[in-house]
Amino acid sequence: MSAHRASASRRLLLPPLGQLILFGALAIYLLLPVLAVLLYSLATVWRAHILPDGYTLKHWTNGLDDPRLVAAFLRSVGLGLAVVIVDIAFVVPAAYWARVRNPRIRMLTELAAAIPFALPFIVIAFAILQLVGKVAPHLLGTPWLLLFGHAAIAFPFLYWAVDGAMAAADIARLSEAAETCGAAPLAIIRHVVLPNITSGIATGGILVFATSFGEFALAQILVGARFETVPLWSVDALGATQGKFNELAVITFVTFVVLFVISAAAVYWNRAQTIRLLPGARAMEGK
Amino acid sequence: MSGVVLRNVSKRFGAVQALDGVSLEVAPGELVALLGPSGCGKTTLLRSVAGLERPEQGQILVGDRDVTLAPTRERPIGMVFQSYALFPNMTVRENIAFPLMVRKRPRAQIERRVAELIELVHLHEQADRYPHQISGGQQQRAALARALAPDPEVLLLDEPLSALDALVRARLRDEIRRIQQAVKTTAIYVTHDQAEAMAIADRVAVMNQGRVEQLAPPIEIYEAPSTRFSAAFVGSRNALELPVQDGQVRLGSAFSVAAPAGSRAVLAFFRPEDVELRLEPGGHPARVEAKTFHGSVTRLHLTTEADGRTARLYTDLPSRQALSLETGSDVWIRVDPATVRVFPLEK
Repeated sequence: MSAHRASASRRLLLPPLGQLILFGALAIYLLLPVLAVLLYSLATVWRAHILPDGYTLKHWTNGLDDPRLVAAFLRSVGLGLAVVIVDIAFVVPAAYWARVRNPRIRMLTELAAAIPFALPFIVIAFAILQLVGKVAPHLLGTPWLLLFGHAAIAFPFLYWAVDGAMAAADIARLSEAAETCGAAPLAIIRHVVLPNITSGIATGGILVFATSFGEFALAQILVGARFETVPLWSVDALGATQGKFNELAVITFVTFVVLFVISAAAVYWNRAQTIRLLPGARAMEGK
Repeated sequence: MSGVVLRNVSKRFGAVQALDGVSLEVAPGELVALLGPSGCGKTTLLRSVAGLERPEQGQILVGDRDVTLAPTRERPIGMVFQSYALFPNMTVRENIAFPLMVRKRPRAQIERRVAELIELVHLHEQADRYPHQISGGQQQRAALARALAPDPEVLLLDEPLSALDALVRARLRDEIRRIQQAVKTTAIYVTHDQAEAMAIADRVAVMNQGRVEQLAPPIEIYEAPSTRFSAAFVGSRNALELPVQDGQVRLGSAFSVAAPAGSRAVLAFFRPEDVELRLEPGGHPARVEAKTFHGSVTRLHLTTEADGRTARLYTDLPSRQALSLETGSDVWIRVDPATVRVFPLEK
């Protein structure tokens, strides 16, 4: 055993064998469901045995040929991206303001960020319906309503990630330094704030995208069949007389791959900075 | 080159009066150190000049211009922060160029000025590194160069050396002074370290509880503290509580000075180097209680009886002379009354 590994294991207080077993168990726990979904999407029939009875690409070609499924997938991706953009546009300036300019509004922003978790999405959906029905009835049933609904329930993920990144980078101090350098607020945000919180934006953005992509209650109540997203299509596929379970496995696997690739890309791009969700993570940089 | 004038500046944080009607004039090209314990208001004063704090009262002028209400970015200042606050996403060169970039100076001019500053603070080799790739002392110099980049009329330094170890600190202190004089800028330097303030400043402002207690050249602050707080805070001094008898304050036959009018007891300060020590009778008897070795000098802790009370004081002796003195030895002391400062006790 090399000295390097010995010191690494001492730090974790676990012998290398224990580490290996733990890591293996975790990997199996995380990968098994994904693997099962992949197998199911490739299975002809899967009944009595531990592995499918036979394999076929039929469900993949069926699924990818199904214009309704492809359209739902594209809608969900587009919606997710739009939600991320809306949330970044609102949350980053708000978090900056609450952290640097006026710490007194932090209580408000923190409170707002807790609401989506305190209330069931169904309740939120009906509340939106009630409110919009009174103030802007022409929005009812449009994708815009869903866009802003998702932006409202998913923003806390971005807020926490961005706020953590701002704390870790000591944005308040950097912002003051930029002011003494003669920079105006917009220049400060562009040259000093944004470049130092990209990891927070990336992490939070992925969580926001995933939340929107998998959200069912708001989609069902606010737009329903008028704007079919992947979760709506999935429920429909499950309820159909001849349940399209294999196609469901196809779309579930594709969704997983999409999110995985985005996350991996974000981690790769930010590896120089590390994902610094927690204050103090900066101390690890450059070592 | 402009000076800075503060007139009756006050600032309150909740129940704390951080600045209590401070007036201060810094002459053009002068370096004034704001010295005081933490919480004395020195950093608030500096941040008020920078515009990072808004005083509730008073007036701040840079040169002839009233900047009291001007936003930070419009003030002709450069600031060095305690933690340097270099932008981690920019190299040293980009950090120094930043104040010029946001002022939209022509590119060629920026490059020339940045090269000049890199030369001034000796950072050629580190110019294209990121802040986390260079040492604390180098970060400090980069921060200084960034603050000086736009040729500010006033340079503000907020405990710029407190995060460095002692050796680097002394070297950089002299370096900051050299640079400040080379570029001939007015400077305000906040520190809680009296040796640092004494070494770097033209004048020192001793601050306490939101007020300037004394503003004077270092030697005057050291030799003639004008308030009890200055005397206690600046320089290591003997401080003895003594009664007033017949208008005089005495420590046995060691010294006798006139007491402030109307006082019944005083706090008497005198420096250890002003204690004259004899090994033969002459002066007031005392006893060596303990010795601490400080290299070239040895500090002797003495006890003495005066008017039926025990007093403790100390003095420094060249270490070679102190060799012969054992703990418990009898000595005799005398203090030049001209070096004793007395302040009435508020009792």
